[in-house]
Amino acid sequence: MSTTSSQKLIRCVIVTPEQTVLDTKAAGVVLPLDDGSRGIAAGHAPFIGRLGAGEVKLLGVAGGNGGETTIRTFIAGGFTEVGNNEVTVITQQASDSGSIDPVEAKVELERLLAQKAVGDEQINALLSAESTARAKLRAAQKPKK
Amino acid sequence: MANARALDRRRRSVRNIRKITRTMELIATARFKKAMDRSVAARDYTEQLAKILKNIAAVGEDLSHPLLRTRPTQRTAVLVLTGNRGLCGGYNSNAVKQAMGLLGQWSGDEMETHVTVSGKRGINALRFRGITIDEEHFKFEDKPAFSEVAPIGESYLKSYIDGDIDRLDVVYTRFVNIAKQEAVAETLLPLQSPTDEETLESPAGHLASEEYDFYPSAESILEEILPASFQSRLFKCFLDSAVSEQVARMVAMKGATENASGIIKDLSRRYNRARQTQITGEIMEILGGVEALKK
Repeated sequence: MSTTSSQKLIRCVIVTPEQTVLDTKAAGVVLPLDDGSRGIAAGHAPFIGRLGAGEVKLLGVAGGNGGETTIRTFIAGGFTEVGNNEVTVITQQASDSGSIDPVEAKVELERLLAQKAVGDEQINALLSAESTARAKLRAAQKPKK
Repeated sequence: MANARALDRRRRSVRNIRKITRTMELIATARFKKAMDRSVAARDYTEQLAKILKNIAAVGEDLSHPLLRTRPTQRTAVLVLTGNRGLCGGYNSNAVKQAMGLLGQWSGDEMETHVTVSGKRGINALRFRGITIDEEHFKFEDKPAFSEVAPIGESYLKSYIDGDIDRLDVVYTRFVNIAKQEAVAETLLPLQSPTDEETLESPAGHLASEEYDFYPSAESILEEILPASFQSRLFKCFLDSAVSEQVARMVAMKGATENASGIIKDLSRRYNRARQTQITGEIMEILGGVEALKK
């Protein structure tokens, strides 16, 4: 994906309870909504959505030497508010996808898969933990560009 | 007449104490700044959550959720946030006093109360006053992490939804500004409806705001966002406590340093006077000796 300086940018903010992790402008944002990814470009109609575990991808962020980079951030669920040419992601946990260790993520997933749960509540908790772990592993395994 | 050497020794020990209190003041100042930065950084999250809640409320969504429902109070939970260390003025004792007031009220109404206390100081003080503490936390210092606070909030949410508690109050020291911090008891559960406080301020404000779509639906977002909102409020209590503790210590140690300086001044004056008296006495003795030899 390439952008020119005339292309409109959209502001993207990622906040966690402890700090604002990211506040930058990008050509496009891919959000991991609860039921699948959704791409957002400048001027998107306002909506509020629930996010699942996955990667927030910022495409075409202005890099240091005039180039463009893609920022990938793993989040463990949360909410998003799109509107006013701004994407706000509210999550309890966010980390740079590149910093996740695939081996560690895999071990975590296997540990969860080996667990047994009894009762609706436990099963639901385990299932959501498993899907988070899976998403984390997926984010870690993607080749770095 | 106090002897000069004893005064000098006292002066020296007060000087050492002043060195310690001044260092503590400086450390508290540095920690306060860091804690303050964290608290400011956390504000964004709370604001964004409030914004979304407001937008959901603006759509006219019926805000009914177990966390918002008020039930007749029979079993309560109290969380008291104090420091692990003393030497910070009235910080701990004010929070304990506030907690005692609340607990007294609950026991007066013959309610079952689950007491959780964070901070060694508060634990010792409340135990001394004959309170049974059900849960203790020591790990919260000047940098409470969200990942540490979240499990506590999680367990409160669970027991509230399961009906094990009907109300949760948090006693903590609210940071108003650098000159003012107050120990308060805040009711976190049941959650206050977002429509109560915010919409009253701007009755017509929402109509002009954008129309939002909801994915997957407003109810499902509400279901997720209310626990998150509770967690962020609870986390804010911890952050406020941390900031207040550092401010309280800073102010207390500043006072202590000033007092030590005053004592040193006073001791110096007395020491000089005692020394002068001693010298005068010795001269008088010599003169007396000379007089006696002359005769």
